[in-house]
Amino acid sequence: MASSLYRWIDQRLRLKPIEQTLLDEPIPGGASWQYVFGSATLFLFGLQALTGMFLMVYYVPSTDHAYDTVQYIQHEVWGGWFVRGLHHWGSSAVMVAIGLHMLQVFFDGAYKRPRELMWIVGVLLLALMLGFGFTGYLLPWDQNAYWATQVGINMVSSVPLVGDFLAKVLRGGETLGALTLSRFFAVHVAFLPAVIVFGIMLHLFILRRVGPAGPHDEAKAKSGSETFYPRQVYMDAVVMFGVFVAVALLAATVEFPLADKADPSDHSFVPVPEWYFLFLYQLLKYAPGPWGPLASWLFPAIIFAGLLLLPFLDRHPERHPASRKVVVGAGMAFLVLVFSLLGVSLRDLYAVPKRDPAIVRGMALVEKHQCKSCHRIHGEGANIAPDLSYVGDRRPEREWHIRHFKDPASVVPGSFMPKLPLSERELNDLTTYMLSLKSENES
Amino acid sequence: MDEGLVTPVGTRRSFFVKATIFLSSLIGFSLAVPLIGYVISPALRLKKTDWVSIAKEDELPVNEPQSLDYTMEIKNGWAERTSTKAVWAVKRSDGEITAYSPICPHLGCGFRWDRQDRLFKCPCHGSVFDIDGTVKAGPAPRPLDTLPAKVENGELLVQYQEFKSGLARKVPL
Repeated sequence: MASSLYRWIDQRLRLKPIEQTLLDEPIPGGASWQYVFGSATLFLFGLQALTGMFLMVYYVPSTDHAYDTVQYIQHEVWGGWFVRGLHHWGSSAVMVAIGLHMLQVFFDGAYKRPRELMWIVGVLLLALMLGFGFTGYLLPWDQNAYWATQVGINMVSSVPLVGDFLAKVLRGGETLGALTLSRFFAVHVAFLPAVIVFGIMLHLFILRRVGPAGPHDEAKAKSGSETFYPRQVYMDAVVMFGVFVAVALLAATVEFPLADKADPSDHSFVPVPEWYFLFLYQLLKYAPGPWGPLASWLFPAIIFAGLLLLPFLDRHPERHPASRKVVVGAGMAFLVLVFSLLGVSLRDLYAVPKRDPAIVRGMALVEKHQCKSCHRIHGEGANIAPDLSYVGDRRPEREWHIRHFKDPASVVPGSFMPKLPLSERELNDLTTYMLSLKSENES
Repeated sequence: MDEGLVTPVGTRRSFFVKATIFLSSLIGFSLAVPLIGYVISPALRLKKTDWVSIAKEDELPVNEPQSLDYTMEIKNGWAERTSTKAVWAVKRSDGEITAYSPICPHLGCGFRWDRQDRLFKCPCHGSVFDIDGTVKAGPAPRPLDTLPAKVENGELLVQYQEFKSGLARKVPL
């Protein structure tokens, strides 16, 4: 049935020659598990496009509703948590796949003549994928999204001369807000997809014009070629399936929680960027004051310039890694640097001291006794009684707080704060929380 | 085929082909189920109306229709809002309470109770109804639409519904 339908169409459209061109592409040295990374990247890109389209069914790109709609997808739509999980973990997986793909091409010297253009288009595709990551991170409009994007845009503003203007263009004005969200959304779901689809087609077109590089070992490359179909296609399918199972398992088991809704007034929030930006985030910490711009734009600019120019900097036709000590050494050094920064950053993130349980109990007491109906703490609460955001700096003595909670008017004459019916332990917990409200504990 | 170009043949070839088809179908199927469910789930959700208390039963005057506020939480996907509708309730001398939808069954205007004439009158096209909902005059094709109502713990509970206007039968929307 299927084959007779195909025959019917083939008689009219003459598909056989196209089929042969697509499937019988010769792979020098034969099919190999080394060549699966490009297909894995393409598969993951497709998965991102598919899950992204489905997320758009419920998502609304407005500062009033974005957060609610993502919550709705996560908690109320049937299968919504899984679709969002696939998109989240898929975005990380596609970065891993691109990294492996580039490493394979780099160590194999496959970017060399005549494949310089394929490499350059590939580096531009990497930049576009990072653009997807950066714009997509803002869309849930939670605290993490808001503050991480704030940091990212501030890095752009460190570019000399045009930085401030570029930052304003990214934000759609002076402040990160409604206009930023809608332009990030438009870029994420319309502009970037349109450009990247063209880029991917160009990348594949060049591949078909110059052919796959094959093994760096001359003798092996000359020993003969194998058709792309069916063995390489089979290997690609096995890897795609493995990648899919991994992403689906992560989506099903590791929830990616939303932080609180974005609150531009809460400067105490410490954002964490996606892990593939973490090395840069870490580097910023080592570049104090006037050196900051070196890390925030010069370093990324040098990386990209180096990647784009690589085929012209390394022009010797030799492809074997052992014979390209300088280039391979430089690549290794770069990897060691990036992964060390990533490692240090991850260690720091997980080393953030866990909150003293007394502080957590104290915070609960603040909620229970509705302290915030008069006091303000980090932008939350009414502005009737003194702001407590940094009360630990002003009143560092434990005794004072205990006496104050027992009878406010005894230490602050004329205070209209009620006496709180607190147990000894509660007095201590609440005081511990008050003492922790210091400017030095902010970050 | 070019010289030096090889390709697997026989059972080896058919293994690669079948494995590829099998694995890609598995991926497709595992994606299709959650994605289709994700899109069609709102269509499968049952519309459910809650019983809402609109008055204390003993505060309703006998044979005097009252317009009562019916406040409901409307959940439209992620958008939530409260909506207030007016509902007519009539307590008869035997204590039986009838609740009417506030919408005229003719073309959907809101009708009123005329205290002098003791009739429900629709200002749009002149339909007139008796206190028991029967059509006395005008173009209305059916009596006033009654709503599910019950008394529990002294509270009058009603389920708000709307019906298609202009039909002789009462068809819920």
